[in-house]
Amino acid sequence: MTTEIRSTTWVNTNHPAPAQKPPVTEVGAIGWLRANLFSSIGNTILTLITAVALYFIVTGLVRWVLGAFWQPVWENRKLFAVGLYPIAQMWQPAAALLMVSALFGLSAGRWGSIMRNLGVGLAALLLLFAVIPIGVQAQLVMAAGLGLLLIGYVAGARVPIASRWLALAWVVSMPITFILLAGGVNLPGLGIRWQFAPFVEVNLWGGLMLTMLLAVVGIALSFPIGVLLALGRRSKLPIIKWFCIGYIELIRGVPLITLLFMGMTMLPLFLPSGWGNPSLLVRAMTAITLFSAAYLAENVRGGLQAIPKGQYEAADALGLSAFDSLRFIILPQALTKVIPAIVGQFIGLFKDTSLASLVGLLELVAVGKAVIQQPEWLGTPGGIAREVYVFIAVVFFVFSYGMSFASRKLESKLGFGKRQ
Amino acid sequence: MASSTFPTTRPPFYRDTRVIAVILQLIFLIALLLTGWFLYSNMVARLAASNTAAGGALSWAFLNQTAGFGISEGPAFRPDESYGRAFLVGVANTLRVGVVGIVLATLLGLFAGIARVSTNWLLNRLAAVYVEIFRSTPLLVQLLFWYVGVIAALPSIQDAAELGNLGYLTNRGIHLTWVFITETGRLWLAWLLAGFVVGLGVSWLRRRHLERNGLPGSAALPGVLVFLALAILGYIVADRIASLPAATTYELRRGDRGTLFEDVNRNGVYEPGVDRALAYVPITLFDQQGQVVASGITESDGTFRFINLPAEAVRLEWETPAPLAVSEPQLQGFNFRGGLSLTPEFAALLIALVVYTGAFVAEIVRAGISAVNKGQWEASRALGLNTGQTLRLIVLPQALRVIIPPLTSQYLNLVKNSSLAIAVGYPDLFNVSRTIVNQTGAEVQVILMVMATYLSFSLITSLFMNWYNKRIALVER
Repeated sequence: MTTEIRSTTWVNTNHPAPAQKPPVTEVGAIGWLRANLFSSIGNTILTLITAVALYFIVTGLVRWVLGAFWQPVWENRKLFAVGLYPIAQMWQPAAALLMVSALFGLSAGRWGSIMRNLGVGLAALLLLFAVIPIGVQAQLVMAAGLGLLLIGYVAGARVPIASRWLALAWVVSMPITFILLAGGVNLPGLGIRWQFAPFVEVNLWGGLMLTMLLAVVGIALSFPIGVLLALGRRSKLPIIKWFCIGYIELIRGVPLITLLFMGMTMLPLFLPSGWGNPSLLVRAMTAITLFSAAYLAENVRGGLQAIPKGQYEAADALGLSAFDSLRFIILPQALTKVIPAIVGQFIGLFKDTSLASLVGLLELVAVGKAVIQQPEWLGTPGGIAREVYVFIAVVFFVFSYGMSFASRKLESKLGFGKRQ
Repeated sequence: MASSTFPTTRPPFYRDTRVIAVILQLIFLIALLLTGWFLYSNMVARLAASNTAAGGALSWAFLNQTAGFGISEGPAFRPDESYGRAFLVGVANTLRVGVVGIVLATLLGLFAGIARVSTNWLLNRLAAVYVEIFRSTPLLVQLLFWYVGVIAALPSIQDAAELGNLGYLTNRGIHLTWVFITETGRLWLAWLLAGFVVGLGVSWLRRRHLERNGLPGSAALPGVLVFLALAILGYIVADRIASLPAATTYELRRGDRGTLFEDVNRNGVYEPGVDRALAYVPITLFDQQGQVVASGITESDGTFRFINLPAEAVRLEWETPAPLAVSEPQLQGFNFRGGLSLTPEFAALLIALVVYTGAFVAEIVRAGISAVNKGQWEASRALGLNTGQTLRLIVLPQALRVIIPPLTSQYLNLVKNSSLAIAVGYPDLFNVSRTIVNQTGAEVQVILMVMATYLSFSLITSLFMNWYNKRIALVER
């Protein structure tokens, strides 16, 4: 059976039919619906049930939000922001906010990555509160913060600031924040007493400001302890190793609340009688720091374990001392790897600071409880607890979810979890 | 001999890493001991200066002292019992909310986790929203929301919201229709236990048989069947032959209430602690004329009480109960009697823990299922295994290896998080311990007890985890 080709210049005159459009059921909106919602009978039923449930949830939620009594939350916005901080001295927290905004801008411009993601989030929040009529002065502060953040971003991107100076600025910013908020330095034990404004007792600090302070201080102070504990746990020296294991497992085995109560009642016991009693804030911060250090140690240990053995051997081969090899070879790599885990831990700590309300600190949840008990809302039918707690939950959600979103974007960009 | 360019003298001893290691550790140990001694001596000095009952030395005598406070729920606790027992009741309450919470959170998390990997976009998104909302807000805020915002806002007992035959929702608690194990049920429980052991044995033998002969098939199924058969048989036997104790008697007061109990010391009077109350026994009350005036079943503490009886009851008859009894909550006067009652505190804590932990479990389940390569499914099908076998033999063993370790740590978190009970007043381990501290001033001792208890939970779980991890670890070449 051979096909005979008569001419050497054969041309197929039967042109193939022009490409047809794919059926509407396979592409576009309908195709998407078919693939994702109605791919089978079971799936269709599932979709319908979910849609009905969703309809009731969403309409119920919208109706509740529109009908809810938000006045208590709105009128107490200052309390939610900074607690009982004196109104006449509000410029001090405002100055701290401006300083942090500027630092965020500089870091976002200089370092990019997660700092840029977080900076965008902060900018969005500042913009939001500059627009919402929360009060002219507060709005101006927010707008100024936004401006500083943007200027800092441009400056950080253009001017080659040394990374270590920027890091140092962050470290120094923390005591400065405390001094700014306190109105000076008052350490009677050391005989230091200097002030630029009337002292503001720490028990007047509160609201979101205190929540933030607790979380940031908790992570920052626990960082060096956590790194030491992680190194100690991997040490070959048995006493140090077992001490670190004991500490980490002890702290991780008990709830934060036991440590907080312990800090409240037992921390003063451990100090010499002459030192007096530290303030509630210091006690809570000590407990949170000791708690956070154990978890941070485990995160850092994860980073250390991810460093290939060859890196240690190479450092040894170069003749670096144990300290130098840690400082120049191991820790920089290990700590970069655990940034997402540390962000995750910060989010956890941020949520956990709500427990400080149980030991008498006036952070966000405690402010909420106080607002619910204000006499002017007592007659409200149904009470105002739902509105207040939903509002607090939203505040926590915005920050936690924002940070985890920024961290996840970083992870996917850097390809964390994949072998490099 | 060796080349003379090498130094023949040994380096000084302080350059020897072995010596440095010992010296470093000694310094560390001394510093540690000094710090510990410094803190301890400060503590002793301060305790001696203060007027607490504990005094300077750490005394444990308070454990045997009378507590003087009641505990609103959990194992029965009277104020004349000791602090030590109060602590144990707190531990039991922690375990109660912990165990129920773990079971429910696993179910919720499993459901949401499977929804997260569903190809159905709507369901997938809904589950994602649930996970993100509840993971990103503090548990304490959620707990207060459920307690103050939801449960306290439920209708009062008089207008209780009815859940069909299932129970009632009120702002004083949740009352559910429940199935209870009765007196005769004890015999049935023995059968259940025997059935479990025999079932395990059967499936072990079956598995050995299958593995030795290289046969396909399920080893678990025969075991389950044997267990079910023994359970049903045991139920019938217990229902037929078991009876109430011979010394069963009752107290009837005011013609409408009383207690049914086993009169252990045969003095005709019910004495809690000596006599044994008989729960969930069907009873019938008769009046002077021998007419039936009421019937029902006794409650968990052996008591019964009827309202609006047509005539005063003078006599009571009881029947031998079936191994299981259904008890429905009924509004009597100002409260519900019968059924299973959850206090608002327990309900709020349970809901908060389950919903919060469920979100974390969902993420773990999602990660575990996604971790199994699609090729595993395809390879399994290529080998001729059906869907069930693929799931059971290929996918689940691999997914579980990823799921179990973080899941256990979530379970531990749930137990630890139950210490937030103090925010709503549920008498868990931590809450009870605070009451003890407030009354005795034995701060240090009680904190040590609390920490030791939580640590022992962690330790038991880690031991189990290590054993399990070894069992399921990937056997590599």
